[in-house]
Amino acid sequence: MIQIYRLSKSFGTNIALDDIGLRIRKGEFIFITGPSGAGKTTLLRHIFGTEKPTSGQILIDGINLTRIRRHNLDLLRRKIGFIFQDFKLLNNKTVYQNVALALEVTGERQAIIRKKVHQALRSVDLSNKEKAFPLEVSGGEQQRIAIARAIINDPMILIADEPTGNLDPDITKDIMVLFRSINLRGTTVIIATHSKELLRDTGHRVIVLNQGRIVEEIEG
Amino acid sequence: MLRIWLYFFKSAFINIMNNRLIHLISMGTITISMLLLGSFMLLSVNLNNWIKEWGESISMSVYLKDGIDEKEKREIEKQLLNINGAKIKGFISKEQAMIQLKESLGGQAGLLNGLKENPLPSSFELVFEDMDNFRVDLNNIKRSLEKMEGVDEVQYSEQWVERFKGVIFVFRVAGLIIGGLLCVAVLFIITNTIKLAIYSRKDEIEIYKLVGATDWFVKIPFLIEGAVQGIISGLFAFLILFSAYLIFSTKTVQIFGLPVIDIVFLSNKNAISIILLSLVLGLMGGLIALGRFFKT
Repeated sequence: MIQIYRLSKSFGTNIALDDIGLRIRKGEFIFITGPSGAGKTTLLRHIFGTEKPTSGQILIDGINLTRIRRHNLDLLRRKIGFIFQDFKLLNNKTVYQNVALALEVTGERQAIIRKKVHQALRSVDLSNKEKAFPLEVSGGEQQRIAIARAIINDPMILIADEPTGNLDPDITKDIMVLFRSINLRGTTVIIATHSKELLRDTGHRVIVLNQGRIVEEIEG
Repeated sequence: MLRIWLYFFKSAFINIMNNRLIHLISMGTITISMLLLGSFMLLSVNLNNWIKEWGESISMSVYLKDGIDEKEKREIEKQLLNINGAKIKGFISKEQAMIQLKESLGGQAGLLNGLKENPLPSSFELVFEDMDNFRVDLNNIKRSLEKMEGVDEVQYSEQWVERFKGVIFVFRVAGLIIGGLLCVAVLFIITNTIKLAIYSRKDEIEIYKLVGATDWFVKIPFLIEGAVQGIISGLFAFLILFSAYLIFSTKTVQIFGLPVIDIVFLSNKNAISIILLSLVLGLMGGLIALGRFFKT
């Protein structure tokens, strides 16, 4: 599903990623971990196509991201759900509108959008909050809105950057259960975290990054 | 297809309503600019009419030699009719010329009684069309007419013609400069309003792009905003101009003792062109602002 060959990224003299090689199988659940500044977010941004590598190749489902045209990258992003550390919700839009956004950009019919948004909100247990605005709900609920938006297109890949960074342990557990259920439907899930708690007894592959390099790979 | 366009229009409408103060200020400014442009067009149309009339009042006298027969006179007339842009206003015989002279002398006409024979030549009076387009070279015509058999002398008011050409030249250059500057000003205003709208929604655009929106999906509502601003401002400018015309058209205007101007309103073509120009400037402003944003 995802193949990364000799990926390097520098910002000026600062090396963010250094000769990364990684293969992620279809339907896999994988963690990327490492201390702050290890390059986790940069790696995820490369997989999502929001960052261009200095050298190396990234293939998603056979498509080379280093050569992809801008329009095709937009279309590819519809198949990849990304959950950002800061959620990236629109505070002037309701929960419903935030989730519907991912379908509206595809030109989907309103009736189908309505049905899918209700389904997605139900799956993250937010059916009763669809008319609320993001700032009116808790941090955990905001995270679930972001998850609902990321899964509404039935993505082939779901990427989450520190999805539980700001959440308390109980909500963290719920969110992880949600990711597992999404993974069980066949979606490849990639989670970047520096939380040791989250990685304990995961049963999934863990990639450890440090100073932009893969320093350890723990099989699940 | 229709569904997506409905979405774009709805989105543009919501954005306009959310930023209505900025849009109102911008539309007000564009309306004033388009009004200035429209007023200038109106002035141009009326001055053009006036210039045309003025141009037609410039005449050329072709004096004939004494003693030419009817056949020669007809030959000259035929050749005059062949001159491009020229019209024969009339023929003044020797006798008519004398009557006109006596009339102009009034009480002193008795001075002419001592003359044994009529010294005045007969003449053709020529007027010219399209004087405002400089298509008629009066000096050239004068020279060629003077070479004609039976023509004694050709006269026209060179000073008048030079003044006429000067007025037209200044007027057209001023028109191009003022019109051009106003268009640039409108473009600048629209570009900056759309730029403000884009920057106020920078985060939203980023999120749209992250969930897979194409560039055009993001751009089209902004372009609609620009077009709406343009067309509404154009319509307002037109309505104000038309109201002003209705108020002032009942009055006659006279400048420097020259012929009286009957004020006419813009033709349908001109009126539509103001609104269309406003629309095009709105779209162009949107495109420039978006181009800059997406480049960065």
